[in-house]
Amino acid sequence: MPRIRTFRQELPPLALTAVLLAALVGLYSGDNFTLNILATTFLFAGLATAWNILGGFGGQFSLCHGVFFAEGAYLTANMVLGAGLSPWWSLAPAAGLAAATAVLISWPAFRLRGPFFAIATMTFSEVVLVLANYFESITGGPQGMRVPFRPGWQNMIFTGRIAYAWLMLGFLLLALIVSLVLLRSRLGYYLQAVRDNEAAAEASGIDVLRTKLMAFAISAAVTGVGGSLFVMYVRIVDPPTLLTLSDVGVRFALIALIGGVGTGYGPLFGALLVVPLEAWLRAELGAYAPGSNLVVLGAVLVLAALFFKRGLVGAFQSLPLPARWTGRLART
Amino acid sequence: MQRRTFVAAASVAAAGFATRARAADPIKIGAINPYSGGAALYGDETTRGYELAAMQANAKGGLLGRTIIIVRGSATNPQEAMAVVEQLAGRDKVDAFIGTFISAVSNAASEAALNNGKLYWDTQALAAQLTERGLPNFIRSGPNSADFAESSVNAITGLVANGLGKKPKDMSVWIQHEDSIYGTTIAKDQQAGLKAAGVTIVGVNAYSARAIDQTDVILRARNANPDVWLATGYTADNNLMLRTARDQGFKPKAMLLTGSGDTFETLDAMGKEYLEGILVVTYPRSDINPAYGPGAPDFLQAYRKQYNRDPIAPQGFTAFVGAQIMFQAIQAAGSTDYEKVRVAAAAMDLPVGSAPNGFGVKFDAKMQNTRAKPVIVQWQNGTPVTVFPEKAAPIGGKIVDLARK
Amino acid sequence: MGTLLSVLLSGLLLGGLYSLVAIGLNLIFGVIRVVNFAQGEFVMLGMYATFVAYNLLHIDPYLAILLVFPLLFVFGILVQRFILQRLQNEPMMQVFATFGLLMLLQNLVLAVTGGAAYSIRTPLSSMAIAVGPVQVSVPRVIALAAVTAVALILQWGLRNTMTGKAVRAVAQDRRAARLMGIDVERTYMLTFGVGAGLAGMAGALLTPIFTLSPQIGGNFILAAFAVVVLGGLGSVPGAYIGGFLIGMTEALAGYYLDPSLKQAAWFAIFIIMLIVRPTGLFGLAGAEEVGLRVQE
Repeated sequence: MPRIRTFRQELPPLALTAVLLAALVGLYSGDNFTLNILATTFLFAGLATAWNILGGFGGQFSLCHGVFFAEGAYLTANMVLGAGLSPWWSLAPAAGLAAATAVLISWPAFRLRGPFFAIATMTFSEVVLVLANYFESITGGPQGMRVPFRPGWQNMIFTGRIAYAWLMLGFLLLALIVSLVLLRSRLGYYLQAVRDNEAAAEASGIDVLRTKLMAFAISAAVTGVGGSLFVMYVRIVDPPTLLTLSDVGVRFALIALIGGVGTGYGPLFGALLVVPLEAWLRAELGAYAPGSNLVVLGAVLVLAALFFKRGLVGAFQSLPLPARWTGRLART
Repeated sequence: MQRRTFVAAASVAAAGFATRARAADPIKIGAINPYSGGAALYGDETTRGYELAAMQANAKGGLLGRTIIIVRGSATNPQEAMAVVEQLAGRDKVDAFIGTFISAVSNAASEAALNNGKLYWDTQALAAQLTERGLPNFIRSGPNSADFAESSVNAITGLVANGLGKKPKDMSVWIQHEDSIYGTTIAKDQQAGLKAAGVTIVGVNAYSARAIDQTDVILRARNANPDVWLATGYTADNNLMLRTARDQGFKPKAMLLTGSGDTFETLDAMGKEYLEGILVVTYPRSDINPAYGPGAPDFLQAYRKQYNRDPIAPQGFTAFVGAQIMFQAIQAAGSTDYEKVRVAAAAMDLPVGSAPNGFGVKFDAKMQNTRAKPVIVQWQNGTPVTVFPEKAAPIGGKIVDLARK
Repeated sequence: MGTLLSVLLSGLLLGGLYSLVAIGLNLIFGVIRVVNFAQGEFVMLGMYATFVAYNLLHIDPYLAILLVFPLLFVFGILVQRFILQRLQNEPMMQVFATFGLLMLLQNLVLAVTGGAAYSIRTPLSSMAIAVGPVQVSVPRVIALAAVTAVALILQWGLRNTMTGKAVRAVAQDRRAARLMGIDVERTYMLTFGVGAGLAGMAGALLTPIFTLSPQIGGNFILAAFAVVVLGGLGSVPGAYIGGFLIGMTEALAGYYLDPSLKQAAWFAIFIIMLIVRPTGLFGLAGAEEVGLRVQE
């Protein structure tokens, strides 16, 4: 039986990851095209990492993380446009609002298990899409909300793409730290116990509902912050951009799955693969036969499911490498 | 006379530097449109318009003596719009941008283009708010949502009122629209315009274009018993609306669609007998009278030659003309620098009926072309026939009975 | 009075459409427990196959069922055999794979058609008959009749044939069924094939009603999942009646509340129902307990 890992032991690999990703940004510092892809990659890596807290460590296949994402975006847009505040002030409230929503819906949602939980959360996301379109005073309705271009760090708006790459890298590191601290905390081990066998976890004295609820709230809070950053990045948001299942809610899950669900770094690997691949396919194929880039992407996803059943991290672990290397990526 | 000015300007643009064309680098123009997703067909038709315009200009020596190359960039949402601008500006080194079938894409892409110091010329996006932003690199040569609303209001207070033998203030209208930005903004302006004209609005209804049943909307409309049924939607939901209206025996005196419903896609669904007499507010079609739109036959011929079929939708023609106006402005500016092009475009003054599709050119202070207006067509015997403006109606074309039987 | 009748009747007919789309999904989701995101795309493929059969071979859309059902049946078997079965122990990856399939199929059709919105028109498709004060669309009545017939046949088959009993056994307890000598993999392939075939049949029946688009599957799928859960997993009468529940809610909310809020209305009812009775109307108690986690 391996000794239980603590967060302190996660620090060296985390620092290495930060250095490598920062080096990547430095390497492409003059190339806005790549920097933009990197910024998007880091954002989605962070969001998938947040999803993984509940979906991976907790085994709850949530498809309503788009709602938390949208809440963060709308809250920030309202604070910036309505109250004229700096978006930096909106990050903590966005996290709080998303966490509160997660707590509210978890009472009904966690009565459901497995696919039922997935479908109920998917439905919830669709309800919010309909409502976001309807309640114009909060969301700007179908016309959406537009944050005017006023560069400056206090406005979180920058002329160069590199600033966004740093910003999103910061968000990714935040998500990774939250995720790894949680993974190596009592709550994290409870959560994995609940995932692996709910009845046994309950029998050994774990408060199952409270465990899931905490995970849901933390996962939602990080996602909300991601939504806030997203709105400052794109500066125009409307309901379909924030709440289309295939572009948002399902995407977080897909990225985590392809990278390795339930692992600390899986979602990051997933994003490093999927987001640039998507951008590359769109650039190379997208303009010619309609939809051809997505035909290829769809095929890649199916093949990835078949050949990396446990994600990229799972595939890496099954390579004949010393356990000392692969162990760092391990589930527990 | 003025039309001749347009043609002359274009040929000067074309012939001017023909000799230097081969030596210089090409001018690259990034064409941003959705080439996947639900709007793929229309994104493609729009870009075909740009490509035909570039081909014709190149045949006459290019632009600023350089060959025009259209580089396609695909975007279906704001996030992809930003990515595609960086891709085209950074990797493909385009000199300017043209687009866009989706307003939200135009919004994000034009700001990203400004960030890259490039011109963003819009021929297609409808959201009126795009020009309100006052972006220095943004120019729109085509009509916006307010123009579509205005045309539909004019159609009701003019054509339809005459046809029904009623005064506008004695008429009642039912407004319905799909609930995305496109339908919502047009319907808001329609409401304001009709109210100003004294027309009674008996109901306004938003619906989701994804709903698989629209009986509720049609029953509400039927119970409101309007003279005119005014609908703004996309093709598939309009088809479902029309089918439901037929099944429910809803027969308003006149039916007016805005923005879509003038293609074979609607004809296939409804058949010519049902469509007879229905009006559509749309972009100028290639059947317009050559006395009004002097380039319609040429465009149709060029399109057929290049793609071996007729254009599916009229968007391509407007895109074609928009690209031509852009080339003219760039030629006059002597560069693709957005500040210079803005000055050159602002100086253009061509009356309605000048451009191949009948558009004129006169930009307002926010760089919205004020002389690009939609037309009204009527389904007659399975063909959409232009009926307004009257000068645009093809020879022998006139409005037929509006009333539904 | 006439209006209320019209609304109720439209709700009933809409319910028929929902049941129709849900009945195949009910087999797949209810028995195999795969959240098949691509089910809507199977319906879409059925619609395009019907369109092709009508235009190239001049086969009536209703007769095309005889062609489309076997086509999608075989396709479904292949998907189950070569994709989902290989991911049997990775339920989350199954969801992932069906999403990839969704993307692939939708865009394949987009690439082939260019995205033009096609429709077909037959004498039947544009027919509506007056029943007292209300009008009814004939193709919707046909769809209702068809789904009723299919529900009866399916229910009879599941109760009275050996294969049907095997399917029910596998749905209830995969491990026990295996111990009883049932070939679980074969049963799954058959079930998935029939589920996909029924989606194809639904597509054929919907072709006279809707304008085709590569994205149309997405308009059905969420409602179909709601119907299946509402009715109860694996329960044929459940899916049948669940469809009417959703259809009726939508029609009433659309007319009396607001057409743009009608989806929110049935979503709300669906979520409340999930909380009050997670097993659905006709589901076995405890069925909702079977999670995405590995069963064996």
